Amino acid sequence: MARYGMLINTKKCIGCYACRTACQRQNGLDPTDSFIRFEEREVGEYPSVSVEHVPLQCMHCEDAPCASVCPTGAAHIGPDGIVEVDQGRCIGCLYCMAACPYQVRNRNEKTGAVDKCRFCNVSNYTSGTEMCSCVTACPTGARIFGDLDDPDCELVKEIAATHAAPIAGDLTKSKVYYVR
Amino acid sequence: MEYTPIWSGIIACYLFLGGLGGGAFATSAFLAWRHPEAVTMRKLGHWIAPIVVIVGLVLLMFDAKAGLHNPLRFALLLTNFGSVMTWGVVILAAFVIVALVALIMDLKKRRVPMALEIVGAVLGICVAIYTGCLLGVCKTFPLWNNALLPILFLVSAVSTGMAAVLLAGVFKCPEEFNRVGVLKKFHFCFPCIEMLLVAALLFITATNSTAGLASVQALACGRYAVVFWVLFVAVGLVIPTVLETKMLFFSPKEFEESRKAHMISAGSDIGVLVGGFVLRLLVLLAALPVTMTVAWTL
Amino acid sequence: MSENAITRRSFLAGSAGVAAVAAGAGFMSFGAWEQADASGTKDVESHTAYSLCNSCSSKCGFKGYVVDGKLTKMIGEPSHPHCEGTLCGRAYGYASIAYSEDRLTDPLKKNAKGEFEKISWDQAYSEIAEKVKSIIGSDGPEALAMVQDPRPSGSYYTKRFMQALGSANVYTHGAACNMSKNSGFTQVIGAGDYLADVENAKACMFIGRSYADAIRPSQLHALEKAHENGAYIVLVDPRLNNSIAFADEWLPINPGTDLALVLAMSHVLVDRGLYDKKFVSEQATGFDEWAATLGQYTPEWAAEITGLKAIDIERVAVKFAECAPAACIEPSWRGAYGCSYANSGETARAVACFNGLLGCWNQKGGALFSASVKAGDVDKAKFPSVPKVEAKIAGQSEYPLSLSGMGVNVYAAQLAKEGKMKGMFFYNSNMVAGYSNPAYLQECLANLELSVCIDVQMTETCHACDYVLPDTSYLERLELPEFYGGKIPAVAIRDQVIEKVHPNTKPVDQIFSELADACGVGQYFDFTVEELADAQLKTVGLSLDGLRACGVSTFPEKAFKYGSYPKWKTPSGKFQFASDACEKAGLPRTPQWLEPAVAVPEDGKSFRLIGGKQAIHTHTQTADCEPLMAITKQYGLERVWMNAQRAEELGISDGDTVEVSNEQHTGKVQVKVTQRINPDALYMPSHYGCSSKEEKTAYGVGLRQMDYVPFRIEPGYGGICSQEAVVTVKKVGA
Repeated sequence: MARYGMLINTKKCIGCYACRTACQRQNGLDPTDSFIRFEEREVGEYPSVSVEHVPLQCMHCEDAPCASVCPTGAAHIGPDGIVEVDQGRCIGCLYCMAACPYQVRNRNEKTGAVDKCRFCNVSNYTSGTEMCSCVTACPTGARIFGDLDDPDCELVKEIAATHAAPIAGDLTKSKVYYVR
Repeated sequence: MEYTPIWSGIIACYLFLGGLGGGAFATSAFLAWRHPEAVTMRKLGHWIAPIVVIVGLVLLMFDAKAGLHNPLRFALLLTNFGSVMTWGVVILAAFVIVALVALIMDLKKRRVPMALEIVGAVLGICVAIYTGCLLGVCKTFPLWNNALLPILFLVSAVSTGMAAVLLAGVFKCPEEFNRVGVLKKFHFCFPCIEMLLVAALLFITATNSTAGLASVQALACGRYAVVFWVLFVAVGLVIPTVLETKMLFFSPKEFEESRKAHMISAGSDIGVLVGGFVLRLLVLLAALPVTMTVAWTL
Repeated sequence: MSENAITRRSFLAGSAGVAAVAAGAGFMSFGAWEQADASGTKDVESHTAYSLCNSCSSKCGFKGYVVDGKLTKMIGEPSHPHCEGTLCGRAYGYASIAYSEDRLTDPLKKNAKGEFEKISWDQAYSEIAEKVKSIIGSDGPEALAMVQDPRPSGSYYTKRFMQALGSANVYTHGAACNMSKNSGFTQVIGAGDYLADVENAKACMFIGRSYADAIRPSQLHALEKAHENGAYIVLVDPRLNNSIAFADEWLPINPGTDLALVLAMSHVLVDRGLYDKKFVSEQATGFDEWAATLGQYTPEWAAEITGLKAIDIERVAVKFAECAPAACIEPSWRGAYGCSYANSGETARAVACFNGLLGCWNQKGGALFSASVKAGDVDKAKFPSVPKVEAKIAGQSEYPLSLSGMGVNVYAAQLAKEGKMKGMFFYNSNMVAGYSNPAYLQECLANLELSVCIDVQMTETCHACDYVLPDTSYLERLELPEFYGGKIPAVAIRDQVIEKVHPNTKPVDQIFSELADACGVGQYFDFTVEELADAQLKTVGLSLDGLRACGVSTFPEKAFKYGSYPKWKTPSGKFQFASDACEKAGLPRTPQWLEPAVAVPEDGKSFRLIGGKQAIHTHTQTADCEPLMAITKQYGLERVWMNAQRAEELGISDGDTVEVSNEQHTGKVQVKVTQRINPDALYMPSHYGCSSKEEKTAYGVGLRQMDYVPFRIEPGYGGICSQEAVVTVKKVGA
C-alpha cells in the first residue's frame, strides 16, 4: 500500500491554468467541471509588489471531512489513501461539499453527483497519461507526485528540502504539500 | 476569491421544516398533557408535523439531483452510520412514521395514546437537534462546529413548532386558542432563550478563530447584517417578544380574547416563523471555513 | 488518419513502455493503477495521430488519442522544439473547437437583407470565381488581396492561389502582430527576428514580452532554467506579468516609452565605454554617427519619460555590460513594439543596436541567428511553378520599411474603403475584431465587390463578408509539413486526428484548389496535400509516412553553432547602427527618441489603453471555446486592470463596474484593482468583447480593446498602432 501525495511549488506556479485544462481534457470533464481551483494573492504595493498563484485541488486528507459526513459511503478513502467518490453511490446531497474546507469539490452539472481530483487513478484506462495529468502537464514542473511512505521518492525528498507543508497545517491531515 | 456557500435556500427550508415539524408534534404532546381539552389544536399539530417534514424531505430529494435521477441510491443513505445525515434519515423516518400513525388515529377518531405522543415528541426533539448536528460536525466551520448550535436549533424548532400550531389554532379554533395559557407562556419564553443563545453563539464563535470572527462580522455588520437585524432579531425575536409580553402581562383578558388580539398573536407567530427560517438560512450562508481566512494570509 | 489504429489491448502493451519509463523516474507503482474498470476492459476502437496545436502561432506538437472516433487525450510531444513535452493551457481546451456547437457547417452567402443563407459549394465557387474574373478584368489582379494568419497549409495555398491569379497582395496578420518589430530588426541585422539564448544567458531583458502569459512552453522552460542558474532576468512592462515567478526585477515602465529606456541604456554603455568595441569596429557601420547623438539620452532624461529611476536604468545597463556577451534584450513578439506605437519600429531598431553594443550576436547566452531548414524544390511537372508576379504587394511603397512577406494588411483595407481594392479573402484571420479599428474595418469590407471569409466559426470578419466558407478544424485534416528554425531545426506534421465532424466542411487545401479551378487556374493545383507533403519531405530526406509515424523530425546536422558572428543580410553587409532606408522613409538614420503618437492627458481620469495576452487565450481566436471561456468567467479574467492608487483617487473599488470610453467607443466592464500595473495604464485583455452572436460562448463577455483604438498606421513600418489609444474611466452610477 502506498500513501500517495503531491507537492505544489507556488514559487514556480505562473497561474497558466494548464493543469486545469489538461485535467479536464485527459479526464474527459465538462468545461465548467474543474478539479483545480486557483487563488491569486498580491503582496506589497506598487511598484514593490509580488504575486502568488495557489492551485488547490482535493487534498486527499487522511482525516477527510467529506468521507466522514457522506451518508451513502460514496465519498470514501480508497486504496493507497486516495480519497474517492463512487459516482454510482452519490445522491448529490452536497454534504461533502459543505463539509470540505478547501472548496475543491464540484457537482457535475449533468449527473448531479459530486466529483473531484482523483489523483488520476481512474483516468488512465485508455492510457496516454501514466500519472496525474496536472503533474505531467505543468510547463514549469511545479508539481511532484509520489508515495509519501517511500523515503527514496522525489516527492519525499523535495518536501524535506523545501519544508513544504499542507496548506492549512494539520487541519485535515492533507497529503498535498505546498511550497510557498 | 470569495467563499461561495454550498448550501442555501433549499437546505435552509429543509432544516427549518424539519425543526418546525418536530416542534409542532412536541407542542401537540404538550397540549395532550397540559391542555387535554384543546383537541382541535392538538390535531392541528398532528397534521402540521408530518406534512412539513415530508415537504422538507421532498425538497431535499429534489436538491439531491444525482439521487433524484437514480432513486434507488436513496437506499444507500443507511450505509454510513458514521454520518450524521444517516442518523438523521433514521430519526426522520421514525418520526414521520409516528407522526403519520398519530394523524391516522386522529382521522379514525381514535385517541392517540400518551405513549405515542411521548415517543413522537422525543423523536421530534431529536429531529430538531439533528438539524443542528448536521452542521455541527463540519469541524472546519467555526460558526457550525460548536455545542450551542444544536441547542439553538432545538429551541428555535420548538418555538417555530409552537408558533405554527398557535397560528393554525387562532384561525381554526379561536376558542381553544384562548384557553391554552400555559402553552402561550412557554411560547413566550423561547424567543427570549433564543436571544441569549444567539448572543452566546456569536460571542464564542467570534473569539475562537479568525474565520469565526469573519462569519460573525458578516452577520452582525457585514453583507448579511440587514437581514440578520431586521428579519431575524427584530421580526423573529424582539417584536414577537414585545407583542406577547403586552398580550400576556399587560392586557385585560377581554382584549386578549378579542379578534384584534388574535390578529396580533398571529402576526407575532408569523414573525417567529420568518425568524426561524432566516436563522437557518443565515447560519448556512455566513459560515466560513477556517482555511478561507487562515491559509491565504500565512 | 494514422494507420496505427489499434485496439485497447495492444495499446496497453504499448503503454507499459510508458510506465517503464515512469518507473525509471521513481514511479514504480503507477502502472499498477490500471483499474479493473468494466468499460475499460472492452475492446474499444482507438488510435493515435500526431498533430500540431492551432491555438497560437507556436504550433506545438502533440499526440492525439482517439477513442471511438472522439479525441480524448493530448500528450505534448517531447521531441517537438516548441513544446518539449508540455503543452500550454490553451492546447487542451482549444481542441474542443472541433466539437463546438458554433462551428460553421455550410457555405453561406449574405442576401440583400444582410442575412446569411446556406448555399452549395458549387454555387459559392462559381459566384466567387465570376467576381474574381470580373475584378481582374476591370481593375487587374492587384485589386485582389488575401489576409491570413500563417498556418502550415494555409500559408502555402493562400499564397499560391493569389499568385496564380496574378496578385502579390498576400498579407499575414503581421501588421497587427510583430511587423514593426521584425521590420525594425531588419534595418539593423538584415533578419526579421533572432533568438534569445535565454537558458544560457547571464542577463536577459524582456520588454513587454511574457513567456508565462503568451506561452511557448520551450521558452518558458528556458526562462525557468536561466532563473535556476542565477541569471539576472528583468521585466520591462507596464504590468507585473506572470513571468515574475522567474525574474529578478520588474521595471514598471510608462507604456510607449521603451525606446527611451533602450536609448538611455545605450547612452550608459557608450558613455562609459562599456560596449563591445571589437564587435562595433569589425562588424558594424554607423556607430560613430549614432554614438554622437546618444549624449542627450541620459538616464535622467529617460527617467522623466519612462517613469523609472535614473539609477535603476544605469544599474541595469551596467549589469548587462558586465554579463555581455551572455546577455541581450529578448526580441519580444507582439508585446510592446510588435505593432503597438508610432515608435515601435524605431524601438526594435534600438533594441537590436543595444544588443550590438553588447556584442552578443551568436554568442552563448546572447542573441542568436537561429538555424533553419526549408523544403527544397519539388518536381516541377507535378507541382508546376506559378508565374512570378512582378507587382509589389500593395502598401510597400507607402510603408517602405514594412516587410513584404507580411505586408500592411490594414492598408489593403484602407484601399478597399477608397474603392481601389475590390476583392478580399480572409483565411483563419479575424481582421475585423482583431485589428484596429473594427468599426472602420467593417466599413472598408462593406465597400468591397467581393469578400470571402474562410473560418471554423462565425467571426466578426465572417459577418463583414459576403461569402463565408466553412473550414475543417485543425484536428480534421492533414496539412503540409511545418519547418521550425531554432538551435536545432526541425520539421513536424499536422496529421488528421479525427474524422470530419461536419460533412460539408472542407480543408483549406481543398477549398483553395477547388476555388482555383473555378477561377480557371486549377492547373497549379492538380495534386493532393498528401502528394505535396510527401514531395516536400523527400527534399529533406524524409517521407510523409515516416513523419506521420513519429510526428517530429530534427536536423541535428544543421544545428546552430556559437561563436562566429552572423552574416548580415543588410544592404551594407554590416550590422547597421545607421540605415539609409530609414532615412529614405523619413526617419532618422540612427535610432532616436520618437514620441508615441498619442499622449495621455494628466486630467486624473485618462489612461493609456494597453492590451496583452492571458495564458489561456490567443487574440480573439480562442474566446468562443467553452473550456477556456469557462476559466475567464469563473475568475473574471475579462476585467480591466487599474492601478490601486488611481482607483482610489477615482473612487473605484475592486469588482466595480466601470465605464471605459473614448471617441471611438464606450462600454462597461468590471475592474480589477491591483498593485501590479503602472498608474498611467489601463490593461484590457485582448481576447474579449466578441460581437458575433453566433459565437455564443464568447458573445458579450468583456470589452474589445480594438474598439477603442483608432485606425492608424505607423509611418514607415506599417504597424497598426494597437496601443495608441487613450480612454477615460468612471465608475458606473457615480
